[in-house]
Amino acid sequence: MNKKYNITVNGTAYAVEVEEVGGAPVVTSAAPAPAPVAPAAPAAPAPAAAPSGTASAGASVVEAPMPGTVLDIKVSPGQAVGAGDTLLILEAMKMENEIVAPQAGTVDAVLTAKGAQVNAGDGLVSLK
Amino acid sequence: MMANGKLESLRRQKAEISLGGGQKRIDKQHESGKLTARERLASFFDEGTFVEIDVFVSHRSSNFDMPSVHAPGDGVVSGYGNVDGRLVFAYAQDFTVLGGSLGEYHAEKIVKAQKMAMKMGVPLVGMNDSGGARIQEGVNALSGYGKIFYNNTIASGVIPQISVIMGPCAGGAVYSPAITDFIFMVDGTSQMFITGPQVIKAVTGEDVSAEKLGGAMTHNSVSGVAHFIGKDDRDTIALVKELLSYMPSNNLEIAPPKPTADDTNRIIPELNDIIPDNPNKGYDVYKVIEAIADDGRYFDVARHYAKNIVTCFIRLAGSTVGVIANQPKVAAGCLDINASDKAARFVRRCDAFNIPLLNIVDVPGFLHGVGQETGGIIRHGAKLLYAYCEATVPKVTMILRKAYGGAYIAMCNKELGADLVFAWPSAQIAVMGADGAANIVFRKDIKDAEDPIAKRAEKVSEYEEKFNNPYRAAEMGYVEDVIEPAQSRQRLISAFDMLESKRESLPAKKHGNIPL
Repeated sequence: MNKKYNITVNGTAYAVEVEEVGGAPVVTSAAPAPAPVAPAAPAAPAPAAAPSGTASAGASVVEAPMPGTVLDIKVSPGQAVGAGDTLLILEAMKMENEIVAPQAGTVDAVLTAKGAQVNAGDGLVSLK
Repeated sequence: MMANGKLESLRRQKAEISLGGGQKRIDKQHESGKLTARERLASFFDEGTFVEIDVFVSHRSSNFDMPSVHAPGDGVVSGYGNVDGRLVFAYAQDFTVLGGSLGEYHAEKIVKAQKMAMKMGVPLVGMNDSGGARIQEGVNALSGYGKIFYNNTIASGVIPQISVIMGPCAGGAVYSPAITDFIFMVDGTSQMFITGPQVIKAVTGEDVSAEKLGGAMTHNSVSGVAHFIGKDDRDTIALVKELLSYMPSNNLEIAPPKPTADDTNRIIPELNDIIPDNPNKGYDVYKVIEAIADDGRYFDVARHYAKNIVTCFIRLAGSTVGVIANQPKVAAGCLDINASDKAARFVRRCDAFNIPLLNIVDVPGFLHGVGQETGGIIRHGAKLLYAYCEATVPKVTMILRKAYGGAYIAMCNKELGADLVFAWPSAQIAVMGADGAANIVFRKDIKDAEDPIAKRAEKVSEYEEKFNNPYRAAEMGYVEDVIEPAQSRQRLISAFDMLESKRESLPAKKHGNIPL
């Protein structure tokens, strides 16, 4: 989703559109363009930390069961896990919820980061 | 001595009928990992007790090539017999006869079994393995389905109705199981769907396997349509029999008690330590249920669906009790749309069949979020409140830890009709958690303080001390007693014993209007 900001630099007003893509912030400029990139950057909310990977094809993704904050990640890519092993801790409803592996496998990628806000259905960890 | 070979003729005909669609098709059924209809019934009933009815019934269709089609039993075997010594009616669709397809007389046989089960006041078990409506019989087949659905509905709440899906069950056929009280599915060999993968592919372009679309695990864990999954036919049938042992034969009886050597006064010291010191940490509520129940046994209903709430049958001093428990280990144990639906349905099953309710509460609230609100958590949560209010069976609530806000009420507090409410000393009965509450109640104090952070911490602990315990509620009589966790079994058994003679009736009405 694009967010629009009006930014004044040295008395000149610029309309700036900021697109949030989840990873590193990407800034696109709009009229009267070309807008300087630097002043716009602080307007873009920086994610708490970048996710460390993307799920590879065929991997099964463990999703967030409810909206919350990732409190701690207990696994790293390449690690073998058994069914029921804790993958990460999701703080939600004022509870520290252990998100466990539904089946045994190897951690393919961690799709979120410590401190990240997630919604129900967001991918957390992918398993192979 | 009977003349003219009449006995021989009877024996020959019966032998032929008992082979259903013939040896070749029986072999095929076995190859696909399935038992035949008759083998299923034999494994279900106590040995030698099954009595078949409508043995010679066949179709009377004159459409297309039907007059020349021989269909022993018209594709379904029905009758009655004993299960653990108690009378039960059952029918099993015979996939070896015209693919178990449902024609007019196939349906009439099922309808007869339904009516007889209702008259006798005994459970009806339907084993489904059918290709669907017998297309050659046209609208007569649909009429048959309609009759079955109608009788399922009329029998609902009168006799326990159990559906066992042991093969395909597609199209309109799914609605008979869906109306019944419990659905079992066999892993790997059963499917339920309104439209199969081919039609979906043709209409919407979506590519999906039959297993993913309507297999046993899909309906047990994702859709919530089915409540039990068995490894194979025999395992599934054994589960059905176990379920029946917890159920009465009808709505006027109580479930048969099962004597136990487990001491009714057994003290459970480990329960005194089960609640973690950190209020934000979860624990496994199954451990509490196991500890309390006779011989540590529970029979889980819908175990793989909405795991944040547990619904199961246990016995206390030999008598069946239905347990509804928040599971703090899964999704914080909160109430959400699926948990509300699962629990509400379970409460109504128990109430219909005179099974007392034990509510084990540790609930942080209704799940927050846009998805829940727009998904209708208000409407779904209301079902749970409604079901509890309406239930007239003995209701005992035991609060282990969190009992906050609307969810505290929804888990059957005093006002929803709990006959007795017990709380453990770790209980926190309040409108909300201390953090949130302090922010609202002491907003001004905190804002005006020199050190708002310190002031806030002070007020949070003040609130915690005042309200996050069971004693305020107990002073008001909302909680009958604060009990030592180790004594839970003893206190619960005594409570249900006292409540055994409870009689409560609702005002006369056609029926309530539960917010479905």
